[in-house]
Amino acid sequence: MTTADMTAADAQSTPLTVELEHDAEPTKRRFGELPIHLSLLIIGLIIAVPIIVAFFMSFTPLPEIVGRSDPKILPDTWTLENYDKAWRASPFPRYMLNSFIQTGVITIAQVLLSILAGFAFAMFEFRGKAILFSILIGSLIIPFELTFIPNFLLVSDLGLANTYAGLTIPFLASAFGVFMMRQFFMSIPRDLYDAAKIDGASDWFYLWRIMVPLSKGAISAFTIFAFLAAWNQYLWPLVITNEESMRTAQIGLRFFLVNQERATDWGAIMAGAMIVMIPTLIVFLVAQRQLVKGIAMTGLKG
Amino acid sequence: MTPKHSEESSVTTTSIKPQETPDTAPKARKPTWRHSGKAFLFVLPTFLVLGVFVYFPIIESFRLSLNRVAPFGGKEIFVGLNNYTRLLSSPQFWGTVKVSIFFMVGTVVFAIGFAVAIAILLSIPLKRFSWYYRTAIFIPVVISSAIAGVLFRLLYNPVVGFFNYWLSLIGIDGPNWLTSSTWSLVAVTITVVWRQLGFNVIIALAGIQQIDAQLYEAAKVDGAGAMRRIWHVTLPMLTPTLFFLLVVNVITSLQAFGEINILTDGGPGKATTNIVYQVFVDGFVGTHFVGRASAQAFLLALLIIGISIAQFKGFSKKVHYQ
Repeated sequence: MTTADMTAADAQSTPLTVELEHDAEPTKRRFGELPIHLSLLIIGLIIAVPIIVAFFMSFTPLPEIVGRSDPKILPDTWTLENYDKAWRASPFPRYMLNSFIQTGVITIAQVLLSILAGFAFAMFEFRGKAILFSILIGSLIIPFELTFIPNFLLVSDLGLANTYAGLTIPFLASAFGVFMMRQFFMSIPRDLYDAAKIDGASDWFYLWRIMVPLSKGAISAFTIFAFLAAWNQYLWPLVITNEESMRTAQIGLRFFLVNQERATDWGAIMAGAMIVMIPTLIVFLVAQRQLVKGIAMTGLKG
Repeated sequence: MTPKHSEESSVTTTSIKPQETPDTAPKARKPTWRHSGKAFLFVLPTFLVLGVFVYFPIIESFRLSLNRVAPFGGKEIFVGLNNYTRLLSSPQFWGTVKVSIFFMVGTVVFAIGFAVAIAILLSIPLKRFSWYYRTAIFIPVVISSAIAGVLFRLLYNPVVGFFNYWLSLIGIDGPNWLTSSTWSLVAVTITVVWRQLGFNVIIALAGIQQIDAQLYEAAKVDGAGAMRRIWHVTLPMLTPTLFFLLVVNVITSLQAFGEINILTDGGPGKATTNIVYQVFVDGFVGTHFVGRASAQAFLLALLIIGISIAQFKGFSKKVHYQ
């Protein structure tokens, strides 16, 4: 046998074994995949419809939207004027800037404080540790509705309404983040800590140079949660800001809707919605696997 | 927002153990205050923030609920439980309770029902396209309540919206989604369900994938068809997950706010004003009734905390199946 024959045979044998494995299953199985594909396709489309509609409408010229007797999803002519309008007519650049600052501050603070407290709860023995930990976990069941009125009064009295400080200060720490970090830190063998100690490493050095790099997965998962939760906040930024220049993207979108709806300018509204949605969609598409795994593991979505 | 998953708590207990058997002798002694100083510095920032913005407001909220607060100037008069007794005898309050229950039942039935069906379909291994289906189905997870409200406000619109147009294609005369007091409840519920669905599917799918494949094999050997396997293996094995989803969905639907604010502003009339929305209206719209708002918030919070605690207890009993 020549080498050419052998490779040909090899090439053939690979799909052949796959074929055989599938034959082990009942033969109607393969035919049976089609209905599953069809139902999932339909379900997926139904769920994605609100986003698909918004996406295409954001590129549809206004006369086309209001002029048609039966609505169509796809635009006849594509335009960017809706984005231009949303970007100018309402200060969307400012809203987005506000949201990025608000979300950035909250996310960074939550991640840092959670790493610090999580480290202490995982590695140190100290007075009152058990009690403090119960108090911490207890706060997870306190709904936001209970705290937001006193927080509003406090933050307003401090003169922090309509400031970045006011937008962010109640959310700088996360009990869930501390819990998640503690869980992960405790899964790292303690021997590593003892060895580093013997080598003369300080706790601070050990935390940032050894623990944190080892926990990249857990830290980035929590960062995603924190980012999404902060970006999507609604009730707090709604009550704590009333100046247009301090609105976050979500709140800006709400007022943009109220203004543009009178003008039935749905293309511009959908362009605004797309702008506000894009950061979270990017996070979803880039980190889908991690996000889904994080939700499945913790039962939380930030 | 919500308590942790059953999986998590079992992880906690197992991973605590190695730490509680210290290998060095001095650690067994109770740490001194001086020794604890460093640890306190690490946890201080977190507890400072939580103290001011979570623990203190709990007490403050209760205190406010016992007072009548002047709309302007914030002068307070102690009225005892008066805010509560007036609420409990006010038809408007019970109206908001009814709306909350409507959202809750709708969300629980449809968001969990659909999610389980979809998760069962997704759990079937497919050679191709699986990733695309999942992406489309999970996507609402990252969508905010404001965005969901805006997207559905378009779909419900009687002129340029799509829902009634699509309904007309199959010969149905669509309702006034946002201006009829009955349909506006349905409209808000659909939006809440849509946004909750991705999360529910993820949890349900994770639950299904943890079911031991041998159980299915055994059922197959016994001659059970696909439907019977779902009914007699998947669903019973999924009870802890379903219980978890029930609790999360009850709590989430009780807290629905953004969608209502954008879709209906609580209207028409008070048709879609749930408890949270009334708290917002009393506390922040027009004349402020901070005391009354706090009393309602406190009642709602008691309900949510009660459900959360029931979940913790329920889990420790129900979780072990195999």
